[in-house]
Amino acid sequence: MLKWLFRGLRHGVVTTRYPARPEPAPPGFRGRIAVLGPGDAPQSLGDLCPTGAIQVEGGRVSVDRGLCVLCGACVANAPERFGFEAEYETAVRRRSSLVVGERLATALEGLRPTLGDRSRTLRRSIHIRHVDAGSDGAEEWEIQALTNPYYDMQRLGLFFTPTPRHADLLLVTGGVTNSMREPLLRAYEVMPEPKAVVAVGTDACSGGFSATTGEVVGGVDQVLPVDVYVPGSPPAPIAILHGLLLAAGVVTEEAAA
Amino acid sequence: MSAEETAREDPLLQALEGTAAVEEAPPRGPVRQLRIPMDELATSTRRLIDVGGHFAGVFRSESEDSLRALLALRGELIVLRTPLDGARSYPSLSRVTPAARLPERELHDVSGVVPLDHPQLDPALRPSADELERVVTGPETFVLPYGPIRSGVFEAIQFPIDTGGEDILAFTVRPYFKRRNLEARFQGLDFDHGTYLAERIAGTESVAQAIAFAQAVERVAGIEAPRLAQRWRVVHAELERIANHLDVGIKLAEDAALSVGVARLGVLKEQVMRLRARLCGNRFGRGVLMPGGVRREPLLSSAEVIQAIDSFEDDLRRDRSLLLATASFTDRLIGSGRLDAETVMRYGGVGPIARACSLGIDARLERPYGSYGRLGFRIARTTGGDAMARFEVRLEEIDQSVHVIRQALERLDGDMAALRIAITDASGEGCGWAEAPNGEVIYWIAIEDGRLREVHIVSPSLRNWPLLSESYRGDVLTDVSFIEHSFGLTPAGADR
Repeated sequence: MLKWLFRGLRHGVVTTRYPARPEPAPPGFRGRIAVLGPGDAPQSLGDLCPTGAIQVEGGRVSVDRGLCVLCGACVANAPERFGFEAEYETAVRRRSSLVVGERLATALEGLRPTLGDRSRTLRRSIHIRHVDAGSDGAEEWEIQALTNPYYDMQRLGLFFTPTPRHADLLLVTGGVTNSMREPLLRAYEVMPEPKAVVAVGTDACSGGFSATTGEVVGGVDQVLPVDVYVPGSPPAPIAILHGLLLAAGVVTEEAAA
Repeated sequence: MSAEETAREDPLLQALEGTAAVEEAPPRGPVRQLRIPMDELATSTRRLIDVGGHFAGVFRSESEDSLRALLALRGELIVLRTPLDGARSYPSLSRVTPAARLPERELHDVSGVVPLDHPQLDPALRPSADELERVVTGPETFVLPYGPIRSGVFEAIQFPIDTGGEDILAFTVRPYFKRRNLEARFQGLDFDHGTYLAERIAGTESVAQAIAFAQAVERVAGIEAPRLAQRWRVVHAELERIANHLDVGIKLAEDAALSVGVARLGVLKEQVMRLRARLCGNRFGRGVLMPGGVRREPLLSSAEVIQAIDSFEDDLRRDRSLLLATASFTDRLIGSGRLDAETVMRYGGVGPIARACSLGIDARLERPYGSYGRLGFRIARTTGGDAMARFEVRLEEIDQSVHVIRQALERLDGDMAALRIAITDASGEGCGWAEAPNGEVIYWIAIEDGRLREVHIVSPSLRNWPLLSESYRGDVLTDVSFIEHSFGLTPAGADR
């Protein structure tokens, strides 16, 4: 066991300081799609997207990041209108916030310090229960990665719990399949109040590719009230952590009320 | 040589001698298709299994109302085509091989066509968590419904366990809780969008799925991707393999409550995932493959990748020797979930599970694709057949993958400029395969005027699930997680 101790110490601290310090994505990381303009887009632009995330209305383009699987078909075929952003902090509170048009100056810049403050004051521990409602398995890897030394979410007072009865947050991956609808609802119902639901991944936000196959009810919000949406196919661990911290705010706000 | 003499030389036609099998269309690469009358489908399957064939799957082609049975042989993939012509039933293949049981239940649920004499033709595709059937009846036994929501961050699947409290009397695998019907989603897509979907069938094997799909399209189009693209495909596929095997190590160490081991392997896996992100912008290698080649230049030079795997290899070596010297870890793996080679063959098992029973089953060598025929590596195999043997196979495969990546990148030379070639015209049917981290994935596709008409996927998890039930021999409840994790299967692959 002593050998393990030395082995563990050998690499020193690899843990990110996020959210107290920014954690930039590597160059070229495909974090989210941005609409670059210019206006006056042809209607046919929508056909570029395999999941129907691109909408063109009166020449104005918008992308629904909740439907976007980050495949890059639009960036490859219309690079003057769409681009990838190497961004991790993609989670939002409202589904409608995932629909973005041409780049506008957003209030996002100011968000990180607030989140940092929040997690510092978050003395209590937040317990998380994960439910797979129909994912492709990639989201599970990225959620599990949050416990590795690079992310070490325990340092922020975030813990996984095996039972929904002890859980404050429900982390749902995948569009909800017919067979998983009931088990998901039951897990949610036995959670104590206050509770929050985080939809992790594009499939959980909208169903993604599977939205139209008939076997999937749709995004998690077709079944449960969703508090935070984390788009991405799959979202990177920091993106999920960002979503968890947003949701953790929800829990404390409600508990204080 | 006359046609008759050729037939005598051909082991495939020899095996089917006396049946009315007719070879259709000239073979495309190592794929051959034979038309078999319905009453001879089971016998033909039986005979091909007898000559070493591995039953891979059976499905109904909707567009032409016929059955396709896939058998993987060394050097060739055989497609048996049996026209249904409106018939609503056929003699079940499950009587010939237990490997056909799940695929035939799927086929029945999807199409309504009845495999006659199937031993258990219950509806499978929309399981309900509450409908539990006891396998073992008797006093003081009960069924423990483990899943579909299980403790920990795991994919949804249910394992009803018949137990008296400690010993496992029967272990049932109930997949399909997360079936998304994505095969149907391929219909009408072009190759580009089809690749994006293939990458999202099973996230942990995204690259292997994309390679199998792309090669199926390339076979139909009659082209081969340029060598440079093949090399980069190998790099992405082997990084995916390393990440998967490390993930199995993490889960096993976690089961053994070896927290520093979990952390160490977690660091290594994260390094691999970050390398993949730096290489292509996605941690799962998505957006790299396309039929005809790869989409764009890698974001790292080959020297940078080699440097990264050198330091990775050095780290892994130390952690590995420590792990294998930790008795509290190895004791839980040795003897757990033991399988024998005969059982694995009977169920058509693939991947590290088969190789841990000393079976040399690996599509990269049996039916080499891409660059694999030109790269030197060996099949990792061992005898034991238990969870320990499976883990040892994975460790050895990580070494081999590192070795393969180095070769693929070191031999990149200047004249290999093209990343892709355009596919202008393609129509017809074809197969592609790739050795995913947990076994071979096969795509059968039909293309009409440049669009996908039909896609069927044979995934390693579907082929290996029955073996999970078979592997419980005198094991107890606390062994369950070790055995499941040593299999390393992703439910998403079967629940496509």
